[in-house]
Amino acid sequence: MDLGAIISILFMSLMAMVPIVLTSVGAAWSERAGVVSIGYEGVLLMSAFFGAIFAELTGHATIGLLGGILVGILLGMLHGAITVYLKGDHVIPGIGINLLALGVVPFGILAYWGTAGQHQLPLNAQMWHISTQYGELSPMVGVTIVIAVVTWWVLFKTPLGLRVRSVGENPEAADALGINVEKYRFWSTVYGHALAGLGGAYMSVDWLGLVHKTMSGGRGFIALANMVFSGWNPLVSLIGGWLFGFFDALASWLAPKHIIPGQFILMLPYIMTLIIVAGIIGKARPPKWDGRPYKRE
Amino acid sequence: MEKQPIIEMKGIVKVYPDGTKALKGVDLTVYQGEILGLLGENGAGKTTLMKILFGMLHPTSGRILIRGKEVQFRSPSDAITHGIGMVHQHFTLVEVFDALHNIILGMEGHGLFSRIDVKKAREKLQKLMNDLNFQVPLDVPVEDLPVGVQQRIEILKMLFRDIDVLILDEPTAVLTPIEVEELFRVLRHLKEEGKTIIFISHKLNEVIELTDRVTVIRKGEVIGTVETKTATPQLLARMMVGRDVVLRIEKPPKEAGEPILKVENLSVKGDRGEKAVKSLSFEVRAGEIFGIAGVEGNGQTELIEAITGLRKPENGRVYLNNVDITGKGPRELYGLGMAHIPEDRTHMGLILEMTVTENALLGLQWKRDFQRWSGVINWRRARGHAKSLIEEFDISAPGTEAPVKSLSGGNQQKLIVAREVSKAPVLIVAAQPTRGVDVASTEYIRNYLVKLRNEGKAVLLVSADLDEVVQLSDRMGIIYEGEFMGVVKPEEVSTEEIGMMMGGIRYEEIRK
Repeated sequence: MDLGAIISILFMSLMAMVPIVLTSVGAAWSERAGVVSIGYEGVLLMSAFFGAIFAELTGHATIGLLGGILVGILLGMLHGAITVYLKGDHVIPGIGINLLALGVVPFGILAYWGTAGQHQLPLNAQMWHISTQYGELSPMVGVTIVIAVVTWWVLFKTPLGLRVRSVGENPEAADALGINVEKYRFWSTVYGHALAGLGGAYMSVDWLGLVHKTMSGGRGFIALANMVFSGWNPLVSLIGGWLFGFFDALASWLAPKHIIPGQFILMLPYIMTLIIVAGIIGKARPPKWDGRPYKRE
Repeated sequence: MEKQPIIEMKGIVKVYPDGTKALKGVDLTVYQGEILGLLGENGAGKTTLMKILFGMLHPTSGRILIRGKEVQFRSPSDAITHGIGMVHQHFTLVEVFDALHNIILGMEGHGLFSRIDVKKAREKLQKLMNDLNFQVPLDVPVEDLPVGVQQRIEILKMLFRDIDVLILDEPTAVLTPIEVEELFRVLRHLKEEGKTIIFISHKLNEVIELTDRVTVIRKGEVIGTVETKTATPQLLARMMVGRDVVLRIEKPPKEAGEPILKVENLSVKGDRGEKAVKSLSFEVRAGEIFGIAGVEGNGQTELIEAITGLRKPENGRVYLNNVDITGKGPRELYGLGMAHIPEDRTHMGLILEMTVTENALLGLQWKRDFQRWSGVINWRRARGHAKSLIEEFDISAPGTEAPVKSLSGGNQQKLIVAREVSKAPVLIVAAQPTRGVDVASTEYIRNYLVKLRNEGKAVLLVSADLDEVVQLSDRMGIIYEGEFMGVVKPEEVSTEEIGMMMGGIRYEEIRK
């Protein structure tokens, strides 16, 4: 394995980490505020699909990314309305969003483009990449790193972050001090889903340049696992997400070499993430009121 | 100077959605700069009244005037804006935050997105603490701090918001005697600074020691207000309970019988791996109450958990009726005749969301009596059981199908005692049996423990309430850092000597 191959895998890993990191960072923020969602898988898939449509209609990939954020915001509002204002269960709406995506996206691909299961985006709807001799890099890699760092900074250094964490840890305490628990929880949920929406659109209009009916590929769940073993910390999530991206890239690089059967190699990122999660989980402690509706006495 | 009323509550009525009348037209006046005691049994409505004043609950009818102006609070933050702060019985602190962030939360400074100026906040807090002459560590997560310090953080949190009136709900329930002294010092200092304090309590001695005036509430009504100088414990007790209370326990002498519980060289580790109980040996005999006194946190919890099968001991053996029960689980121990009144009623003793019937059945669901032939629970019998406990122990509950959380603390505790005794035990392990329980229930439970002793049962009593241990025990061990400083008969030692043992001086050294 020469230096060129290593740099090439590094590039691929940075490209692969983006949806995982964005979703993990968003989920970490939302859960810090006390709202659990398992619907990120569906958010990724739906925003990948709708983001592609936005990009194709306008001929601008960036509009596609914004469209993905919009899808995330709307789904986040739905989840937030159910969990925060209607005091509903936090898991069920996520199941709903995931199942909805499984129906909407394959049907949508067929209905909109007339192809079964997959659609290649035209070049004008794809994001511009920096290309080098080792491969391509998207500007979204930089954006993702900035988002992770800024989210961490806001969460741990500013009044906003302190309040968000307080409503996830002890909403009674926050409420007694005049902090609007519902407002902070709702908009935190929206922010979390918006980031996942950006990650989803990135997959179609930026990273892969195509829409596929199963393109989220479990990344929404991997991102949740990553969030947990990162201890609900956006900065650690960045590293964890890159780790998954690295094994993802390594698998893609190894697959054509036929050293071991391809199916095993494609399992690599999932298994490694699982091992790491299983190894480190238990040390991290979730926010105390994570997933619990708050109702004033 | 003529005293000005700072708060006037007029005709406050509170009816809960389920129809319970918690307050039936209460009038309360609080004067600027005084310490007012709000005395009443659990469930009398003290806390409800103060939650209304703090904006947490809305009155069904009635008016609140602050400095003569009528106000309506929609939330606690409205009350804080009007200078009223409250420290609850259960603290509202974010456990993973340090004191500094807990205190500044919601008042961090300018701009949601700007960096929190920790240095400035620290200076401000340090000045506040210096003025008040009490200190808390600002950088330690509050979950790692003792409850006494957490309580001070709660007080600071309110004072940081420039409140004039501080409401404290049963603040001494969780404190050690030394912490109580410290709290009283702080409160007196606040009074000198011109703050007004409302002190909710059901402990007569504390109210008499601390307050200027006492308002007594019973069953949602004000019974009367007296100047503390003119009040006696007997008078206040009568006002509070509505009848004369026997504050002493009648305990006929009794010859103890065979040893029921034998503990031999028991060593137990605490949660952090420290040696909590160090090679302790004692026995509890039939017809005897063996008390364990000591400042909390000296191994009592670990000792009880090891005896009741909730924690594996490191070393040593425990025998019940000469059967080795070391390391056996709670269910097996119940079968062998042990009953356990756990120290934490809401976490270990009851499941608050479940009904009285379900709670009355806990631990008994295995018995054939409560099952149909198919193994399904026979709810008709279970309800009958709950009903008989309610009647026998005079538990005031809305019904057998009411959730246990709708009962007052004293009645919850009576339910636990009733349930445990209904298991027909030979040994009753009672940990803090009257903590946070009103006077009447306390009296009832204490007399019941004595009754069990008179019937020839063995009772192991662990309590942070020294009076309770001294009054009830036939013999008592004073525990300090996991060891007995002495095992004595209460009537043979003075309170001073017990205090010295609680402080770590051995009985032999005292009696030299």
